Amino acid sequence: MIATIAAHQFRSLRRRRVLSAFGAIMIAVTVLAGVIGWSSHRTIARVYNEAVVLLGADGGAAPPNPFELKPTLSLLSNMAIYVPLIGALLALIVGNLSIADDQSSGIGRLIFSRQVSRSSYFLGKLLGTTAVVAVVLAASLFVSIVALLVANETAPDVGDLSRLVLFYAVSWLYLMVFVLIGMVTVLCTERRSLALLSAIGVWLVITFAVPQFTSGLRPTASLNPVTDPVSTTQTFFRITSHARPFSVSEQYKHASAQILDTASGSAANALVRILPIAGLAVSLALAAFWLVGRHDYSRSTSSG
Amino acid sequence: MDAAAIEMTGVRHRYDDTCEILRGIDLTIEPGEVFGFLGHNGAGKTTAINILTTLIVPTSGLARVCGYDVVEQRREVTGCIGYLPSDVRLYGHMTAAENLEFFAKLSGVADPRGAVSETLAFLDCADLADRRVGTFSTGMRQRIGIAQAVVHRPRVLFLDEPTAGLDPLAVRQLRETMLRLNRELGITVFMNTHLLSEVAKVCTTIGVLNHGTLVYKDSIAETIRRFPDEASLEDIYVLMESPPT
Repeated sequence: MIATIAAHQFRSLRRRRVLSAFGAIMIAVTVLAGVIGWSSHRTIARVYNEAVVLLGADGGAAPPNPFELKPTLSLLSNMAIYVPLIGALLALIVGNLSIADDQSSGIGRLIFSRQVSRSSYFLGKLLGTTAVVAVVLAASLFVSIVALLVANETAPDVGDLSRLVLFYAVSWLYLMVFVLIGMVTVLCTERRSLALLSAIGVWLVITFAVPQFTSGLRPTASLNPVTDPVSTTQTFFRITSHARPFSVSEQYKHASAQILDTASGSAANALVRILPIAGLAVSLALAAFWLVGRHDYSRSTSSG
Repeated sequence: MDAAAIEMTGVRHRYDDTCEILRGIDLTIEPGEVFGFLGHNGAGKTTAINILTTLIVPTSGLARVCGYDVVEQRREVTGCIGYLPSDVRLYGHMTAAENLEFFAKLSGVADPRGAVSETLAFLDCADLADRRVGTFSTGMRQRIGIAQAVVHRPRVLFLDEPTAGLDPLAVRQLRETMLRLNRELGITVFMNTHLLSEVAKVCTTIGVLNHGTLVYKDSIAETIRRFPDEASLEDIYVLMESPPT
């Protein structure tokens, strides 16, 4: 039963072109990240080569090529920004559609007048949306490997490939948080449009508002995984900064930066950082499960 | 002897403290009947169907379908019923066959594809199989809706306002379909409706619900015999729904 609902959910999102749109956008941003990384690589190399010539003319010794000191995966460092900004927003829509369609069209009544339990229904929906996100990220992973191959003119080694796979696994977990937020907001509200607006509101809070507080209003906190240039002196922000481990978007960005080797810290440290994300995902899954169990499927909700 | 197709004893349902929608329904429908459930808007007809299809739990009382308790034996009940709500739209971005196959699988049908083909052929709508439901007219959607309700060969079929929004030709087709389902497949039909002319042509028994109370239940033949002075079923219905003077 769970497999039937999951397969149907996957097919439904594919038919509605949600899968192709999500996939196309994620592939586009992966290509963009690769092009930006490749472009910065070329700029650094050109500046370095000019500097070497000038230094050689002055009789000075040439310093080591800075690009060679940069890790291979730094080419894709922008992906750690695109996933929370663009991927998460698309994941909300996946979560919203997976539940809202059955509610507003009255199909939920047909499903639950059959031998389908609420738990099978929810697990099927979760599995179907999980597969959609996984397929999209798998396509993005493939494009990432191609981008690395083209930009570095050499195939990434096993270590880099493992880090890349780990980065996409963490990204999958992070996006599932937003799929579940999309589901929970639909189950909590009577109107589809209100549910989507609420989900976007939650996304804004998680992605922009919370990092600002937990980093002491550091303006770059919502975008870049960089450490504090100066520590805040305001008591309020010193207190809110203690909540940083629970700022999932910050944790995701820092974990991603560590996995892609663009920030200090090992991949093992990065895994500790994803614990709050995993905790939030599990909490949201339990909340969605509970809400599906008590939802009144005997009537349609408004599609407006 | 077979259990009654539907049995309700003292069924009450309230949505909140102020609104008691069903006020103690006692109703028995035997296998093979085509039952027309009449009542004004808000009388509680859909609530009764929601209870019998296990979508909501009655506040009190006992309801059984095919001998199974709708609360305690939900799985058994859902295994022997088919349901078509009044305003269902199915998955518009999928074909009729894909929709039906999904619902056949949910009902545990062993050969979903075979069941879909057989059902569409039985309902004379095999030509709709590979077309997307979103492109269908109201009448076509209703035929596919009926197909999803019977694809697993239920023993009892619940139809909530099945003629709503249909043109006269589609209403006639639906009537013929209901009769065939009842006569050829032996399906008991429970139909909520306002269309009194259809009730007289299709139903073997009628019940009238007035403000959550079943005020009348008898066979069509007996009803017409008991009310010889009324010109039509509509007059009888109005008589039943009128407050006593």
